[in-house]
Amino acid sequence: MHNDWQPKLGDKIVRRPRVKAHPLRRVLGIPGLFSTAYGDVGSSIYYALGLVALVALGATPIVLGIAGILFVFTALTYAEGTAMFPEAGGSASFARHGFNDLMGFISGWALMFGYIVTISISAYTIPSYLGYFWEPLKTSPIVHTGAAMGIVCILMMINVIGVRESSRLNFSLAILDISTQVLIIVLALLILFNPTVFWERITGYWPSTPNLIFGVAIAAIAFTGLETVSQMAEETRRPQIRAPRALVLMTIVVLVIFAGISVSAFSAMTPAELGSQWATDPVAGIAHNLSVAISPDELTKGFSEPAHQIVVTYILEGVRNLLPALVALLAATILFIATNAGLLGISRLAFSLGRFQLIPAELSRVHPRSKTPYIAIIVFTLIALALQMPGFFGPDVFANLGGLYAFGSMLSFAIAHLSVLALRIRKPDIPRPFKLGWNVKICQRDLPVTTIIGLLGTTAIWVVVLIMQPYSRWVGLAWMAFGFGMFFLFRRLRRVSPSQTDGSPSGITGSQL
Amino acid sequence: MRLEGILVTVNGKDADVEAVKLACDLAKKSKAKVHVVYVIEVKRSLPLDAVIESEVAKAEKALTRAEEIAADRDYEVETDLIQAREVGPAIVDEAMEREVDLILMGVTYKKSFGVFSLGRVIPYVLEGAPCRVLLCREPMS
Repeated sequence: MHNDWQPKLGDKIVRRPRVKAHPLRRVLGIPGLFSTAYGDVGSSIYYALGLVALVALGATPIVLGIAGILFVFTALTYAEGTAMFPEAGGSASFARHGFNDLMGFISGWALMFGYIVTISISAYTIPSYLGYFWEPLKTSPIVHTGAAMGIVCILMMINVIGVRESSRLNFSLAILDISTQVLIIVLALLILFNPTVFWERITGYWPSTPNLIFGVAIAAIAFTGLETVSQMAEETRRPQIRAPRALVLMTIVVLVIFAGISVSAFSAMTPAELGSQWATDPVAGIAHNLSVAISPDELTKGFSEPAHQIVVTYILEGVRNLLPALVALLAATILFIATNAGLLGISRLAFSLGRFQLIPAELSRVHPRSKTPYIAIIVFTLIALALQMPGFFGPDVFANLGGLYAFGSMLSFAIAHLSVLALRIRKPDIPRPFKLGWNVKICQRDLPVTTIIGLLGTTAIWVVVLIMQPYSRWVGLAWMAFGFGMFFLFRRLRRVSPSQTDGSPSGITGSQL
Repeated sequence: MRLEGILVTVNGKDADVEAVKLACDLAKKSKAKVHVVYVIEVKRSLPLDAVIESEVAKAEKALTRAEEIAADRDYEVETDLIQAREVGPAIVDEAMEREVDLILMGVTYKKSFGVFSLGRVIPYVLEGAPCRVLLCREPMS
């Protein structure tokens, strides 16, 4: 049967056993998985760069590089874990399989915190970029925070109703975003880059040691999105092969783009400017300074043909006039989608945790008409709004949100590393479609070096945040304490041991490969 | 037209009745296999294999009714319950996997802002299906 029809991105089906069980058909390929994940990870550069510069100043490219190495190791760990367990739940799923329900809950709860903060910070950054069109959106704390909270409320309503998401739009935006960032990088390198100035900006604005260490912790926010690939794996055709490939592809693209953008930023402005005036919209700062630096007359001096001069002048003038507006609109759109992705992620995670009796099932209740987990969406959105509220009273909310994210994400990443190591030790014989190389033999078990280093690195960063950031420490620990209390009470009421592992979700046969 | 496989999509509406009857009548001549599927659309805020009890109950009811209609026609059908992000692609994909010769869909007579509407799914299937597509629209009354 010859046909040009191609499945749409995200077209996978699950077959509910009726007469007899059937295998699942997964349709999402690498491009769909990559574009969804890139939308999550790629969006973070729009706020991470400024956030890191706030703390790390001249060391920003260095700390982003260190965080990038940890990101690679974590991505590799996720590749092995996701290939083993291609189901919604991500690191919570690894922990449940590697240890027990309690560890699964801790990881899932920390992950939820990360998602909530991602929602808050992505939405908080949008008005800064839109400030290009109306300044109070960036400069007035009340207008800025009000707009950010409004955005979160709108997305909450959209997700409660269940408006259809276009995977084709996600893919197109991912391509447009990468293209725009490549354009910025190329222009910055051609017009602004000067190795001497670049080095002076690093050394001349070197931070204190505590800020340098905290900068590495904050830089982790640049690499959100690993969980997205893991959670989307259940919708992927041959996830054991395609999920690791999508992770590797995403890692390479993200590292190259982030390296280029941070070099561009340091070429376009001083670290002090980046960490103050442009902290909440760093890419807009690059575009603004690029636009100012583009001088068509200067740049076309080398053309001998008048016709070539005219054409190139016209193009450069167009770029100069349009680039800041394009970046503002594109950043706002990408961040809007990233905020929505955070909401989708948290609702799916809440449903998965509820399914495995790790949180009360009421949180994963589905609305009878809209067929969405409306309680989870509303509850966690309200928490995200609460985290944004301090923005009415001062600008510290941005840095504080960064610290909160580092608390949640480092904890869940550390547990992911630990779980993969535990699985190597306790269940060495289960199939590993993607098995990490560079192993060391410890107690007759092959343990991947990258996972061990990833575990040490993420744990160290988490401890740094705990020690150095009082706001993140107390809010993060309060979140975990509340979660523990809810978990133990819930389990006690259900008469289930907290450490019991239930192999299958209650009342569900589960998906089949 | 010799048929070896027919895919009938049901959605719990009255139009299913005529669609299943027609599928059985068409299949009888060439002893074609009839597959009846119900597609549950899962929103992206839920995992794809999330169990939505109310939807599963509705689907079971629709598929059981299809089996009863087929039994009245003295024909055996195979029923399946599928969950997908979107109904249209799921139907087309199912048709390709089962290599059916015909997709048969019941159409409810409905108007949107005073204009007759086929909805989202039918145009998608008409455009993307690899085989013949037969629509069976219920009467106006």
